[in-house]
Amino acid sequence: MTPAIEARGLTKTYGSLVAVDGLDLEIPQGIVLGFLGLNGAGKTTAIRVLTTVLPPSSGTFSVAGIPSTRPRDIRRAVGVLPESAGYPERQTGEEFLRYHARLFGHSRQSARTRAGSLLAEVGLAERGRTLVASYSRGMRQRLGIARALVNEPEVLFLDEPTLGLDPAGQRQVLGVIRRIADGRGATVVLSTHLLGEVEDVCSRVVILNRGRVVADGTVAEIVRRAAAPGRVRLEVAQGRVEHAMRALEGLPAVAAAQANGRPGELELTLAAESDPEAGVAEALRALLAADVSVVGLSLEGRRLSDAFLAMTEGS
Amino acid sequence: MTERRGSWLVVAEQELRDLWLAGRGLPLTLAFTLVLSVMTYLTATNTALNFLEQRESVNLTLQVAVAVGALLVLLGSADALSGERERGTLESLLLSPASRLDLVAGKALAALSIWLVAVLAAVPYVWFLGHGVGLVAVAVAGGLVVGTLLAVFLMGLGLVVSALSGSNRLSLSVCLFVLLALFAPTQLPGGAGQGWVGELIQRGDPMSSGLHYLGKLVVDAHSTGQDIAWLLAPVVAAAVGILATVAAARFLTLRGGTLS
Repeated sequence: MTPAIEARGLTKTYGSLVAVDGLDLEIPQGIVLGFLGLNGAGKTTAIRVLTTVLPPSSGTFSVAGIPSTRPRDIRRAVGVLPESAGYPERQTGEEFLRYHARLFGHSRQSARTRAGSLLAEVGLAERGRTLVASYSRGMRQRLGIARALVNEPEVLFLDEPTLGLDPAGQRQVLGVIRRIADGRGATVVLSTHLLGEVEDVCSRVVILNRGRVVADGTVAEIVRRAAAPGRVRLEVAQGRVEHAMRALEGLPAVAAAQANGRPGELELTLAAESDPEAGVAEALRALLAADVSVVGLSLEGRRLSDAFLAMTEGS
Repeated sequence: MTERRGSWLVVAEQELRDLWLAGRGLPLTLAFTLVLSVMTYLTATNTALNFLEQRESVNLTLQVAVAVGALLVLLGSADALSGERERGTLESLLLSPASRLDLVAGKALAALSIWLVAVLAAVPYVWFLGHGVGLVAVAVAGGLVVGTLLAVFLMGLGLVVSALSGSNRLSLSVCLFVLLALFAPTQLPGGAGQGWVGELIQRGDPMSSGLHYLGKLVVDAHSTGQDIAWLLAPVVAAAVGILATVAAARFLTLRGGTLS
């Protein structure tokens, strides 16, 4: 099956600044891809190159099976919610969508129908005839997602769709993204800093660092590959935290032990290369030997955020 | 479900709607008619006192109409691309399958519509001042030709500056500066414009030569072909304006900033 996105040695430079550095990607169709990286890692530039808004400095790519030599055809096949997109304040939401539908070749009537159904899909049906100027940021983001869907894209790029939204707005936008991912069968590239949501929604993750891909795989694969340290939350008898920390000092399986601010609680970071269960057993043995009663213990799974930080460390 | 229609027409239609139904088109036209009203009142009262010959009053009003109309076109086109960029709406347009030339051409049409409305608004004033001496038709036709040539030039200039500018403010500033520079030769004192250097400047400057041609046509009642050489600079300028419009499409990038 043709990959939804394929890039070989894709590079974008601005003078001496290398924004995207030899990007190699092969993203299969129909998945939700988490596209991660610190600010300035090159995510937005990569998306702009892949959607033909910016020309690459070197390298080749194809999107939806269409080579980069046919940029207009690529734009017909992709939908994009740009980072920090602006909206015409003096147009209504419906008018904005109709305009873009017509730019994609819809007739007047079909553009009107399409705008109506998209407004309903993103929960803006009742606000479609009011000016965009009166929309909240969350509503604008949902309008932007509707605009990105106006051509029924095969590949949908969402660049920071939850940026600047309050928790309620984030939830609404993520709900829309989940519905799109479940219902349309399109490939979704989701660039975000909400790693918890990436773990929930994305079946595959690519992490960029300084314009290069530093990780590419499922969440589980990346966490394992990053050898991200496991974490253990321990609760000991009150007043025994200092004693416990001394007992854990120097254990090979424990990279760090520190009080977490709550009475009687401390948090252990296991050594990256250690087996979590063996590490916990070793820590418990040391505590028992030091006569520290363990009241509670929870082993937290290795998280994408830990892997992300480990892989982007020093940037 | 879909229709094959030039994207530039879709862009032009939306731009015209934004300009005339929800934008600055009507307030600018109102301001334009106010200026013409004041000019017409002043010239009409002076004519009544025999300080100003009727043909001169028509010419004066026509020149103001052409100059202000062209200025409005320049303002419209200078904002067209840098404004989209500044408002964050340019990327969405660039993501559509419309070519950059389609986008620029649609905006160019909308900017030119300001001039066409200005001409229509000026007709009653010219008629009021010029009726009775068989001057109205030739004045309106001459104004339309010269004004359209200048408007096309300024439209192209505005668009190319707008495409290259990193900010809307910069685009407007550069365009206004260029416009003032183009109008400067029209303000040369009588003696300065009469030497060969003065005439060269006046013939080379599209504003001066276009307005000079209009003056000959309206005030001196010359035939349309008699001073046709004075239209050379406006015609060349209009051709440059069209080339600049095409160049604006080539220079149109997400960031702009070449002039910043």
